Amino acid sequence: MAFVLTFLLRRLAQGIVVVFLVSFLIFALLRLIPGDPVRIMLGTNVSEVTLEQKAQELGLRDPIPVQYANYIYDLVRGDLGQSYLLGESGGAAPTAQNKQGGQITAEAELAREAEIKTARAPVLKLIGDGLPFTLQLAGLGLLFTFLVALPLGLSGGLKPERWQAKLAFFTGSLFISLPNFWLALVLILLISSKANLLPSIGYKGFAYTILPAIVLAVELAPVIIRGLSVSVAGSMQQGFVDGGIVRGLPWSRIVWRHVVRNASIPMLNLFGVQIGGLLLGGVFVTEYIFDYPGIGKLTIQAVLQRDFPIIQGVAILAAGVLVLVNILVDLIATYIDRRLKY
Amino acid sequence: MAKTTRRTFLKGAAAAGTIAALGGKAPFYKRAHADSRKYITYLQTEPLTSSWDVSSHTILAQIYFEHHVFGKLIQTPMTENNPEQINFDLATGHKIIDEKTIEYTLRDDVYFHAGQKFGPEDVKATFEYASDPQRPAGTWYPGQAEVEIVDSRTVRVRAAKGAYPGSLFWFLSGFLPIMSADDIKNKAIGERPNGTGYYKFVSREGPTTKLVAYDKYHLGKAPIEEYISTFVGDANTRLLSLLNGEADLIERIEPEQYETLLKEKVTVARTISTENKYLHFRGHRKPFDDVRVRHAACHAINRDLLLEIMGPAGHKSVGQLSPVKFGYTDTIAGTPEYDPDRCQQLLAEAGYPKGEGMPEIEYLTSVGFYPKTKEYGELIAVMLQEQGFPVKLTVMEVAAWLDRVFDTKGPTAPQLADTGWMTGSPEPNLVVRPMWHSAGSILSNCSSPELDAAIDKQQTISDPAARKASIQTELMPALAKQMPSFGLFTSVLIHAHNNALKGLYIYPNGPMDLSKASWSA
Repeated sequence: MAFVLTFLLRRLAQGIVVVFLVSFLIFALLRLIPGDPVRIMLGTNVSEVTLEQKAQELGLRDPIPVQYANYIYDLVRGDLGQSYLLGESGGAAPTAQNKQGGQITAEAELAREAEIKTARAPVLKLIGDGLPFTLQLAGLGLLFTFLVALPLGLSGGLKPERWQAKLAFFTGSLFISLPNFWLALVLILLISSKANLLPSIGYKGFAYTILPAIVLAVELAPVIIRGLSVSVAGSMQQGFVDGGIVRGLPWSRIVWRHVVRNASIPMLNLFGVQIGGLLLGGVFVTEYIFDYPGIGKLTIQAVLQRDFPIIQGVAILAAGVLVLVNILVDLIATYIDRRLKY
Repeated sequence: MAKTTRRTFLKGAAAAGTIAALGGKAPFYKRAHADSRKYITYLQTEPLTSSWDVSSHTILAQIYFEHHVFGKLIQTPMTENNPEQINFDLATGHKIIDEKTIEYTLRDDVYFHAGQKFGPEDVKATFEYASDPQRPAGTWYPGQAEVEIVDSRTVRVRAAKGAYPGSLFWFLSGFLPIMSADDIKNKAIGERPNGTGYYKFVSREGPTTKLVAYDKYHLGKAPIEEYISTFVGDANTRLLSLLNGEADLIERIEPEQYETLLKEKVTVARTISTENKYLHFRGHRKPFDDVRVRHAACHAINRDLLLEIMGPAGHKSVGQLSPVKFGYTDTIAGTPEYDPDRCQQLLAEAGYPKGEGMPEIEYLTSVGFYPKTKEYGELIAVMLQEQGFPVKLTVMEVAAWLDRVFDTKGPTAPQLADTGWMTGSPEPNLVVRPMWHSAGSILSNCSSPELDAAIDKQQTISDPAARKASIQTELMPALAKQMPSFGLFTSVLIHAHNNALKGLYIYPNGPMDLSKASWSA
């Protein structure tokens, strides 16, 4: 127990530093790359004076350290900020000016600030709205991945010289050579438009998750198939397999209790490091193409429109998830193999 | 569309998962178009990002939305055969009173969606509020307007401040959505859209906006009860949505999708737009500070080849105005045509024989907004290089490109930039003033006193016929002579919709009139 507490405290402290660094990097880079969110908010035909006025209103002309300090101050209080572009309902945010007698009075300015502050959608809410959809897609994608990859990877590893290994290799090679955006479009065209078997664009029910989940699974499966094949084949070369046979253990017990258990540690690490990244990246592209209302679509739109608070919020969330997944993976690995305790 | 809450979402997911696990054939899939006869689903290319206040933005998607919800004094359909056509909407007539004043007579049977009766005070409040130069969309108007209420059905719009005539509102009134005076007074215009249009606002959830037909619409209730628009950023996704029946109407068909769609059972509509595409010259940096080099560049570009690349998305035009703009003419004295020999002659005269001694030229263009900009940008770069211009093409995604394209003064501003300019009125001043008058120069900075004078002159002429003549015989030749921007071609808007949808009209700046649209049997 003491080990677990120490382990968690140490890793969580490291994780907080990682998230903090990621947040700063993303925050600074967004402000250094070209692209002014205010011009996108107001359109291309507005005057430079209006643009500057709006930019100052949003604090975008303050020095980056000042902006970041304000952001972190809000962040530690659980406020990820508000979208520049999306309103409370996910729609329009007000940019109106309240004026009296042709001049913006201090009172009107405050009222206008308050109006804008309250009507722009909080990033936390936008992420909260999209997260269940993304989790559903990721979950179904992983389910499809495991349904395909586990039998292929295991059988390929157990029979390295047989057709099972070739099937695993060719399936993995085929899947990895299919670009996800291309596969998405082909599936929509064939399964949805031509065959009318499944719906595809947007979300009006669970069925809308199936095609994007298949695309996600095709992207993830090769990594699992290949990793599992190699890992299981490696374990099969170990002495404990011969030992188990000599001791008269049933083959299924040797495979499930010894081979798979030993092969699972590299797979766990692979899952923690690679799958997390692949899953996130895959979800983003897939959601955008299928117009699936999750965090991926929200993020891509935010990037295209330079909606900084959303990008920052999602980056922090993604960094936090990856840190937690890796802590969990390491913790599970120590339970599987006690020698890994550190 | 059923409202999805987290509770129903989780319940649905669990139930559907169970059915799927039992091997049932997706029973939850129902093609959207099966019951779409009561509504129309439109997929928009850009999101609504601004306030409901029509004067708070210059965003195209928002302008499209406003067309359904707000009425205007007049509508300007801007057909190619008759760009000057005016259809009366909230007004029943208009006349020019004097150089500074235009008078409108108003309908007496119009109500706002929130219940207020439309009257002259609404016109006064809207014109005076929206034309305020401090409003973000104030740039559309030549200056602050003042409105005099003559009686309960008559108003006079006066160009009180600034050197422009009241007659400029002849067309501009067709671009200004009329807001309620109460809303402006009570500062409620940003809270919800309240107009007199054929559809009224119902809800906005995420990227989806829902409108319903307005019972009291003064020109008769729209046949299609409901309008649902959703922002879908990806062009292929939009197209596939139309093909699988989940959308009824889509916009911005890519040129390469056009041929594919012609083979499908959908209707494809091409509309010559108000937008010309330009190659803007920046005269504060060499070599385009010399008008001869600007003309040489124009002579180096074969626009017929650009049109081949654009395919159905391009339309041949002459000069800087679109054919659906007031004052367009296809006979402009001094318009440069493709002529490599003349190009070389001008380069030699300017001191750059065969381009020798010319500094590197950055040509900035975008990808992801206008169709084919990268493809024809590469062709333009090659054609210029062939004549000796040391051109370097920079292609940027939209947000980054927007950041640089309006830089017309900086030391590192690109010397060449590609943009379009979409405006919602036949009024040419919406193009010529911001771009080529020295007071604007937002994309090109090659103005001259002579060009300024030509721009100023035409806008002070009250009589439309005399003004048109001034534009065609003085302003356009002045633009051809000074050549601050080279008009490459006119953009064509390509929409596609369900074959059963009839009676819609697509305006050349993108909005669609669905007031008479209906589903055929």
